[in-house]
Amino acid sequence: MRELAGKLLRLDRRAIFVLIALATLIPLLYPVGLPIRVSPEVKRVFDHIESLPAGSVFLLSLDFDPASKPELYPMAVALLNHAFRRDLRVVTMTLWVTGTGMAEKVVSGVASEYGKRRGLDYAFLGYSPGGANVIINMGQDLNAAFPADHYGERTADLPVLRGVRSLRQVNYVVSLAAGTPGVESWYVYGKEKYGFELGGGVTAVIAPGLYPFLDTGQINGLIGGLRGAAEYEILIGMKGKGMAGMDAQSATHFIIIGLILLCNLFYVLAPGTVVRSFDPSAPLRTGSAQDRTGSPQEGQR
Amino acid sequence: MATSVLIGAWVAAGLTLFMFSFLYKDNPFFRFGEHLYVGVSMGYTIVRIHYDVMMKSLYGPVAQEGKWWLLVPALLGLLVLTRFVPKVSWLSRISFAVIVGFGSGVAIPRIISSNILQQVQGTLKPLLNAGSSRFGMAELNALLILTGVLTVLVYFFFSIEHKGAIKIAARIGVYFLMVYFGAAFGYTVMARMSLVIGRFDDLILFASRDYAYASLVLLILVTLGLLLWERGRRRAEAVLRPREPRRGTSQREGVRRTA
Amino acid sequence: MTLFLRRTLPLLLTFLFGVAFAAQYYIPHPVSEGALTEISVWLRIILGFAMILGIASLCQVHYAKIRTRVAGWGYSLVVYLSMLITVAVGFWAGGQETGTGLGWVYTYTLLALQGTMFSLLGFFVASAAFRAFRARSKEATVLLVAAILMMFGRVPLGEYLVPAAGPLAGWLLNVLSLAARRGILIGISLGGIATSIKIIFGIERSYLGGRE
Repeated sequence: MRELAGKLLRLDRRAIFVLIALATLIPLLYPVGLPIRVSPEVKRVFDHIESLPAGSVFLLSLDFDPASKPELYPMAVALLNHAFRRDLRVVTMTLWVTGTGMAEKVVSGVASEYGKRRGLDYAFLGYSPGGANVIINMGQDLNAAFPADHYGERTADLPVLRGVRSLRQVNYVVSLAAGTPGVESWYVYGKEKYGFELGGGVTAVIAPGLYPFLDTGQINGLIGGLRGAAEYEILIGMKGKGMAGMDAQSATHFIIIGLILLCNLFYVLAPGTVVRSFDPSAPLRTGSAQDRTGSPQEGQR
Repeated sequence: MATSVLIGAWVAAGLTLFMFSFLYKDNPFFRFGEHLYVGVSMGYTIVRIHYDVMMKSLYGPVAQEGKWWLLVPALLGLLVLTRFVPKVSWLSRISFAVIVGFGSGVAIPRIISSNILQQVQGTLKPLLNAGSSRFGMAELNALLILTGVLTVLVYFFFSIEHKGAIKIAARIGVYFLMVYFGAAFGYTVMARMSLVIGRFDDLILFASRDYAYASLVLLILVTLGLLLWERGRRRAEAVLRPREPRRGTSQREGVRRTA
Repeated sequence: MTLFLRRTLPLLLTFLFGVAFAAQYYIPHPVSEGALTEISVWLRIILGFAMILGIASLCQVHYAKIRTRVAGWGYSLVVYLSMLITVAVGFWAGGQETGTGLGWVYTYTLLALQGTMFSLLGFFVASAAFRAFRARSKEATVLLVAAILMMFGRVPLGEYLVPAAGPLAGWLLNVLSLAARRGILIGISLGGIATSIKIIFGIERSYLGGRE
């Protein structure tokens, strides 16, 4: 039994890859549709947009690149659907250069579904380098930060931006972020001085790091990961990619939980295992044979 | 369906499978896709810099609005590029000094206010607001947060030796950190799985009849390609390996056969 | 004179800009606000040129590989060709993406390649979790339990099987994890401020690069 446990610990990782691939593929092809509970932090973003009167200025900063598309694009679709339904004046932009194409596509795509007109009902300002510096620039003078929108039209002449001289005149900003510049940058260099209300939509990687800001009210809501996107879709009554991915998310999570539990079971059963306590002052020791990762085949690659 | 969309779907599915082939092992398909990605993203960035920075923020304001003083930052920007000319690369220090000086200056008061003062306020306020009301879940949470923040800060304070009460506090801080890292790991798994789900979603879409079963056909082709490459690689290795007299089943041969 | 231009002038500029814009935050006078507006516009232009630096550096690396014909130089040729084709297509499209060649290249190559490259991490995180995520100590066990609780409680199946899992995961995030993260945030911020002050006062000079 112990020898078997030792062997299983050195299982070829490609077997695990196949397991993950199947756990993703099968639920996508045959969805179950389990209920999803909406978390308070996502509801707060929804409630705030619901409370904005028609004609309010809503700035959506799509601060992500194609690597984070599966998590943040569904959020963008859901938020834009909500904003256009509420007849808000939607201003969009991006602080990430390779995200420009995606940002443009999602805005123009959702806007056309609602018959919204560029320049009149919404604007896409495009990309500007500098991250935090762009936010400061927008806070001081929006037309100086973006003299023209993505299509080359002067922002000072756009009807949708009438009366919006800086971030102080924006009613609500939501940053959909995959890192820096992102939500934290919008707070530190934006809301902190210019006083607009700020919400966040982030990848699951950085979501836990933003809870301190949520707790103090520095951001008024947080949509985290694909799960957050699914929750927002439920709130606006829309079936999107967020909800569609939840079954696969459940399956893959359970596979990984199973793998971790099995790994620990094999580790305990495998010969030569010693459980020790962490002591930072103790000298470094080399591990036992079971601590060695990798299969014999990996050494041959 | 437009031809460009159909061709695009085949290209996207093919490139996706090229990248996924890395899961088998590093191979020419993956390396081609990797280098193509570098080239395309560099080209796209050049296009965006030209239109979104040079044209809109520099050329437009200078040539059309007469804001000639913007030639000063343009000059500073050109000085950055002297980094490539060793004899005059010191000129780039002037531009970096402006960038770094401005960045450091604006950061200090804002970070003090938002990341320190507001966070400390957020930690203490719930406790101060508790007053004489009965000790409930909210009060317990506030106390736990205060304990966690203080003990984590004590753990990271390496200027004094961790012994006695400091050591106990640091040990408690370690446990709070382990909970945070565990939560972060759980969320990281969620994020990474979402990315896999996203790509598989596209592959499933491109496997449909509308896209002429692109994913399925290309999966077969890429698999065949990998098999051919693997066979070619092993043959080349066999040719390069020096001849040895047959010794029967050695450990090295056993491992090679398994690979 | 040369030493002044090479070393003293940059340090002086860093000091002046640093002190000026740290103080600017506390001075709401129109002149002060105007200076912040103008310099932030300048920074956007300078940083645009700085982005060219990164691209030029990559071009240099790949050109060297092609020139010296090192192993794998063909891939560097792929980098160059794809970059040039993308630039040509982008200029032809006038920088616009809707319905243009640039949009096609972006949607069907860049999106697919970058998205898939990062999705590989999903497979490797599963493999790493199986191989290395072991309860070797009490602290590691706490980490393991927190991770499993989070993975279980934040998916619909977990909440369906154990309804309390969702609120428990939420409590973990909003209390215990938050406390540790806040401590890290305050610590990092204090360190960042110290580094910024050192840069402004010329104690930290690594950003200048090279010999002085």
